[in-house]
Amino acid sequence: MLKPGARFKSAVCETQVMVVKSPPGEHDLRCGGVPMIGANDPAPANVQADAAFAGGSLIGKRYVNADESLELLCTRGGAGTLSLGATPLKVKQAKQLPSSD
Amino acid sequence: MAPAQECRATLSARPEETAAVYARRLLASLDLDPARPLEPPAQHPAQAWAESGLMALTGLPDGAPQMCPAPLAACADGALAALAAIAPPDAFTGLRGATLLGERAAIRHLTRSGAASPSGGCRLLATRDGAIAVSLVRDDDWALLPAWLECEAVGDWEAVRTRVAHAGLHDLVERGRELGLAVAPDVPVPTPAVPWLRADPPFSRRQRVAAAPRRAPCVVDLSSLWAGPLCAQLLQRCGARVIKVESLRRPDGARRGPAAFFDLLNAGKQSVALDFSDARDRARLRALLARADLVIEASRPRALRQLGIRVPELLDENPRLTWVTITGYGLGEPQENWIAYGDDAAVNAGLSYLMRQATGLRLIAGDAIADPLTGLHAALAAWASWMGGGGRRLSLALCDVVRHGLQFDRPDSVAALRARQREWTARIAPEAVRPPQARAPAGRAQALGADTAAVMAAFNLA
Repeated sequence: MLKPGARFKSAVCETQVMVVKSPPGEHDLRCGGVPMIGANDPAPANVQADAAFAGGSLIGKRYVNADESLELLCTRGGAGTLSLGATPLKVKQAKQLPSSD
Repeated sequence: MAPAQECRATLSARPEETAAVYARRLLASLDLDPARPLEPPAQHPAQAWAESGLMALTGLPDGAPQMCPAPLAACADGALAALAAIAPPDAFTGLRGATLLGERAAIRHLTRSGAASPSGGCRLLATRDGAIAVSLVRDDDWALLPAWLECEAVGDWEAVRTRVAHAGLHDLVERGRELGLAVAPDVPVPTPAVPWLRADPPFSRRQRVAAAPRRAPCVVDLSSLWAGPLCAQLLQRCGARVIKVESLRRPDGARRGPAAFFDLLNAGKQSVALDFSDARDRARLRALLARADLVIEASRPRALRQLGIRVPELLDENPRLTWVTITGYGLGEPQENWIAYGDDAAVNAGLSYLMRQATGLRLIAGDAIADPLTGLHAALAAWASWMGGGGRRLSLALCDVVRHGLQFDRPDSVAALRARQREWTARIAPEAVRPPQARAPAGRAQALGADTAAVMAAFNLA
């Protein structure tokens, strides 16, 4: 279960994310093709990024799955591609501007 | 005497010169002498606040309108007077700065709402250890609340208030800013002097005399909502041609607000709409920016970089360019990434803290006051830079412009602040508290993209 507000980091690059929303259940959240780890967990030794998942992540962008039921905010960009299992997440379109403040 | 002491000595004897003293201070910080005499309204700052409409907008909904013990309305008068003194003659005849602060509220018929902004978008909320201001103005902001508050979906302000009350201020502000929410701590005005403007390179007299331009400048305005469009509109009154450039997919949100307000700020500007996701349109945008005399933008710097726009490169290519950046909290990491609107930025500047010291009440003062105040200051700096030949990046932060105004003629103790609050309040008879007023728009604003083809043709970018 990915709780809103939970933070994860890549095991193989600089990428960090915060969960904005997530459907219930288990999710195989990866970056660079390797499962992501908790923000405070030590990076595992001897893991390498999968060259097929080297599209990079951009700080400030929001990443979603196909039906946008899962949404992550990238809080630090890196070299790896964010994915659920082998399916890359895609960048969500920017928020509409407010009509006033 | 040191300038601060001189200011205090002058203003305590002749408070009706507050706007003039402020105008001279702004011009001095631009290393500029007025071309004509300064003619701000000679009015006590308490009276300026009452006449601006902001007093009517400040206070509890069922309580009395509240004085502001800082001369912010007089500062607005001073900023416009400084601009008028270097602008073409009569550009601002009949207009006063203080009135500009209440125009949106006048058009939207807003009223004072205590600890909520008159527009309802921003609220002061108590946390476990202090208060914060948060603006939730996009539907999407509500979707971010579970991540911000680490909870299930939150549907209304009451639920937000309950959640926030049990969380720590520091964590709420940090996490909120990371998520792109406009969250700010309710803190006092800082003691070290805050500049209202950062100019790179700084203003210098020598450069200005060498390069006084003759023709009217071309302004490309990439900004939205209030501060930036007001800045561009004031430059338009100085004779500038203004091209308002919007994203085709994400146009200025104010287009969906009251037409009278959008028209007021944007009538007479040409409208260009480009598809920022299209490489050809991005190239046209860049080419247009490189040929402008002034650019006004209020984007997050990383958003511009992601569009391929690098300000130093453009300043190199076009040595006469003046680039005006408006942010909430200034350039540099991490603050250039923080979202701000006019109410929450003013809270971070210290305005609500000051109001609480003076009145005992938790209040949002005015209506998004940082927006119009920053727009006024930005227009002054922009016009001064253009007159001096350009070649400069100007950066104004909503929070710092308000801080600068709050530091101007600041009482030196809480006791002095409360004494001033009593004295200034006593000066204003109930019937002297005016409702906010707005100018009539000069016409209708152009429809989105109505001038894209014509502007592109004129710049040979078709």
